[in-house]
Amino acid sequence: MTLSHVLMLASALFCVGVYGLLTRRQAIAILLSVELMANAANLVFIAMSRFRGGVTGQVFALFSLAITVAEVAVGLALVILLYRSHADTRVDLASELKQ
Amino acid sequence: MMKSIAFGAIAAVMLATGLMVVSSKNLVRAALWLGAMLLGTAVLYAIMDASFLASVQVLLYVGGVITLMIFGVMITRKHEGLEVPAETMRPSRAMAVSALLFLALAAAVDKTEGLEQELLPAPPTTADLGRAFLVEHVLAFEVLSVLLLGTIVGAIVLARRRDLGAAVGLFPATPPMPTGSVAPTDEEPGSKVAA
Amino acid sequence: MTPPVLYALVALWTPAIAALLLAILYPLRKKGQPAAVVAILGSLVSLGAAITLFTDRLHDDATHRLVVPWIGSGASTIAEVGVHVDGVSASMLVVVTLVATCVQVFSIGYMHDEPPEAYGRYFTYHALFLFSMNLLVVAPNILQLFAGWELVGVTSYLLIGFYFKKPSAARAAVKAFWVTKFADMGLLFGLLVLFAASGTFGWEPTLSPPVATAVTLLFFLAVVGKSAQFPLHVWLPDAMEGPTPVSALLHAATMVAAGVFLVVRANPLFEQAPITRSIMLGLGAATALFAALLALVQTDIKKTLAYSTCSQLGYMVAALGAGSMLGGFFHLTTHAFFKALLFLAAGSAIHAVHSNEITDMGGLAKRMPLTATAFSVGALALAGVPGLSGFFSKDLVLESVEGKLGNVPYAVLMLTAFLTAFYMGKVVFVAFFGKPSGEKAAHAHESGPSMSGPLVVLMVPTVVAGYFGATFAKVQGEPYHFAFGAGPATASALGLAGIGLAYAVYGRGPRAAVPAPIAMIDRVAKTRAVNRVYEWGFRNVTLVLADGLAFIDRYVVDGLINLLGWGAIEGGRKLRPIQTGLAPDYVLAVVLGVVGLAVWAVFGSWR
Repeated sequence: MTLSHVLMLASALFCVGVYGLLTRRQAIAILLSVELMANAANLVFIAMSRFRGGVTGQVFALFSLAITVAEVAVGLALVILLYRSHADTRVDLASELKQ
Repeated sequence: MMKSIAFGAIAAVMLATGLMVVSSKNLVRAALWLGAMLLGTAVLYAIMDASFLASVQVLLYVGGVITLMIFGVMITRKHEGLEVPAETMRPSRAMAVSALLFLALAAAVDKTEGLEQELLPAPPTTADLGRAFLVEHVLAFEVLSVLLLGTIVGAIVLARRRDLGAAVGLFPATPPMPTGSVAPTDEEPGSKVAA
Repeated sequence: MTPPVLYALVALWTPAIAALLLAILYPLRKKGQPAAVVAILGSLVSLGAAITLFTDRLHDDATHRLVVPWIGSGASTIAEVGVHVDGVSASMLVVVTLVATCVQVFSIGYMHDEPPEAYGRYFTYHALFLFSMNLLVVAPNILQLFAGWELVGVTSYLLIGFYFKKPSAARAAVKAFWVTKFADMGLLFGLLVLFAASGTFGWEPTLSPPVATAVTLLFFLAVVGKSAQFPLHVWLPDAMEGPTPVSALLHAATMVAAGVFLVVRANPLFEQAPITRSIMLGLGAATALFAALLALVQTDIKKTLAYSTCSQLGYMVAALGAGSMLGGFFHLTTHAFFKALLFLAAGSAIHAVHSNEITDMGGLAKRMPLTATAFSVGALALAGVPGLSGFFSKDLVLESVEGKLGNVPYAVLMLTAFLTAFYMGKVVFVAFFGKPSGEKAAHAHESGPSMSGPLVVLMVPTVVAGYFGATFAKVQGEPYHFAFGAGPATASALGLAGIGLAYAVYGRGPRAAVPAPIAMIDRVAKTRAVNRVYEWGFRNVTLVLADGLAFIDRYVVDGLINLLGWGAIEGGRKLRPIQTGLAPDYVLAVVLGVVGLAVWAVFGSWR
C-alpha cells in the first residue's frame, strides 16, 4: 500500500462519479454522483496527511466534509423546487434558459 | 502487510459499490449503494489511522446524508413503493470521457516522482487534529459554522418558498402542488414556477 | 496690467457678458425690450472703452499686450491668447463699436414689429457679434484672429438667416456660410503653413519668399471670401435677405472689412510677398469695376448698396495691393461710417415703404427729410465729393495705385469712381426725389427717434472723418500728406460728372427710358454667369465626387463592417447548438477541460 495506490483508487472513484454525472437524468442521482466524487477528493486529503505527515490534510478533509453536507442540503432543496415547478426531477427537462 | 491486503479488499469493495451507485436502475438502491461505498471509505480512513474522520464519516454521511437522500428520493418520486427508476442517457459517450479522464489522472500519478512511499511510522493523533482544528484554524472553523447556518436557512427558504411567501403575503396563493401520481404535463415548462 | 490693456479687455468682454446673460437668461431674452437694453448697454460700455483707448493712443505709441498661454505643448506654448493694443486695433475698435452701437439703437425702432422672442434673439446675436469682432480686432496673433474670424462667420450666418422661416433667407444664410467657409480654408491652411515655416502664429516672422507668397496667397483667399471680392462675391448680395441693420453692420461696415483688416494686420507678411500684392491690386481693381457695373442695374436699394460695398472693398484691397496700408485702412474707416449711414437710411426708407425697390419709393425727401438728408450725405461721401470723408480716403487710395501695373488699376478705379457717383445719384434721384410712385410712398412719414438718432450720429463722422486723416495716420504711425493736386481733382470731377449724368437720366423720375449701355449690362447681369459657374461646378464636380465617395463608403467601408457583423451572426448561429441547456453536457465540457489540463500538466510543463 503506497501513496500512489490510494491516489489511483481516488482517481478511479472520481471517474466513476463523473460517469454518473454524465449519464444520470434524475437530479438526485446526479447528487449521488457528486457525493461520490467529493468522497474521492476527501480520500486524497487524508492519504496525503497520512503519507506525507502533518495534520492539515485531515483538517482540510473535515472542512470539505462540512461543505459537502451543505452542498447536499442546498442541492436537495433545489431538487424539490425543480420537482415543484416541473413535476419531475429530470434535469434535461429544465432547459428553459436555452429558449 | 496486513494493511496492504485490507486496502486491496476495501478498494475493490469501494469500486464495486461506486459502480453500483452510478449504474443501479433504482434510485433508492443507488442511494443505499452510496451508503455502502461511504462505509467502505470510512474503513479506509480507519486503515490510514484517521479514526476521528472515520467516525465522522459514518455519523455524518451514512447516518445523515444518505438518510436525507432517501427522503429526497421519496418526496420527489412519481410512483408508489420503493421502485424509483433511475434513467441513464448516452452511457457510451460518458464512459469514453470518464475513461479518458482516468487515463489522464493515472498518467499524472504515474509520472509524479516520489509517490512510491510507504506509511509514515507516527500517524497524527486525534488530539493533534483537535488542536489544529480548534486552535490554529479556529477562524476558518467559525466561518464554516456561519456557512452551515446560511445553508440551513437557504435550504429552508428554497424548499418552502411558496408557503413562506403566502404566509407573509408576498406571493399569491398558488394551486396545490402536483402529487406524485401526476404524469409530467405537456404544459409550458416553467409556467408553474413559483411567482 | 496697463490702462490700455484694461480698456481693451473691457471693450472685449462687455459684449461677451451681455451675450452670455442673454443666452443663459431665457426670460430676459423672451421679453424682447430688456434684451435690447442689455445688449446696447454692453455696446455703449465697449464704445466708451474703445474711445478712451483711441484718445490714449494720441500721446502713446507703445504697443501694449496681455497674453496668456493657450495651447501648451510640453514646456513650451504653441499659441497665446489675449489682447494686443496698437494703433490698428485701437482705430478698428472705435469703428466697430461706434457703428455697432448706432446699428443696435437703430434696430430698436427697425425691429419693433418683431415678436418679443425674435427681438431678444436678434439682440443676443448682435452682442455675440460685437464680442466676436472685437476678439478678432484685438487678437495678438493670427490664431486668435482666426477664432474671431470664424465666430463672426457664424453670427453672420445666424443674422442673415434671422428670418429663417423665409426660404430665401435660409438659403442665403447657407450660401454665405458655404462660400466664406470655403475661403476660410485659405486662412486655416495659411496658418498651418505659417506655423510650420516659422513656429509662431504671429504676423511679424520673416519668411523665405516662396513661403511668404504661399502664406499670403492663402490668406488672400480668405480675404476674397470674407470681403466679397470677385469671384467669391456671390454671397454678399444674397446676404441682403437679413434685416437691414444687420446688412449695415456686418455686410457693409465691419465684418466684410475683416478681410481688409487681416491684410492690414498681417502687413509685415504681405510686405514680403510682392507677387501677392500685385494679384491683390489687380483683383481689387477688377472687383471694384465689376461690382460697380452690377450696381448700375440693380433696382433693389439694398442690392445696389451691397454691390457698392463689394466695389469699395475692391478699392481697399487695391490700395493694400499697392502697398498703402494707410490708404486701405483709412478707406475702410470712412467707408464703415458712410456705408453704415447709407444702409441705415435705406432701412429707414424701407421701413416706411415696406419695399426694397427704389421704383416703389420716390419723393421721399418731402416726407422723410432727415432720412433723405442722411442718405444724400452718405451718397455724396461715397461718390467722393470734395469735403466729405469719402473724398479724402478715396484720393489716398487712388494716389497709392497711381503708376502701379502700367496705370491700368488707376484708370479702372477712376472709371469706377465715375460709375459709383452715377449709380448712387440714380438711387437718390429715383427714391427720394420726383413723385411718389405708390400709396405707401405717398403716406410715408419720418421714422422715430431711435432710428433717426443713429442717422444723425453717423452723419457726423461721414462729414468730418476726412479731416482727421493726419490724426489717424499718426495713430497708425504712418506718414500722411494730402495735396489737392491733379489726381484728386480728376476724381472729384468724375464724381460730379457721374452725379450730373444721373440727374440728366433719372432726375425727372424713375420711368425714364433705360439707356442702351445699362440695358446691355442688365442683360449680362441677368445671366447670373458667376452663380451659374458655381452651380455647374457644384452639380458636375462636387456632386459627382460626393457620389463616388458615397459609393465607396456604402459598399467598401460599410461592406467591411457588415461583413464583420455577418460573421459574428453566422458564427453565433453555428455555435448555438453547443448550448444544449442540459447540465450533463456542460459537465462534459468541464471534464474535457480537466483532461486537457491534466494532459498539459503531465506532458507539457513537467518535462
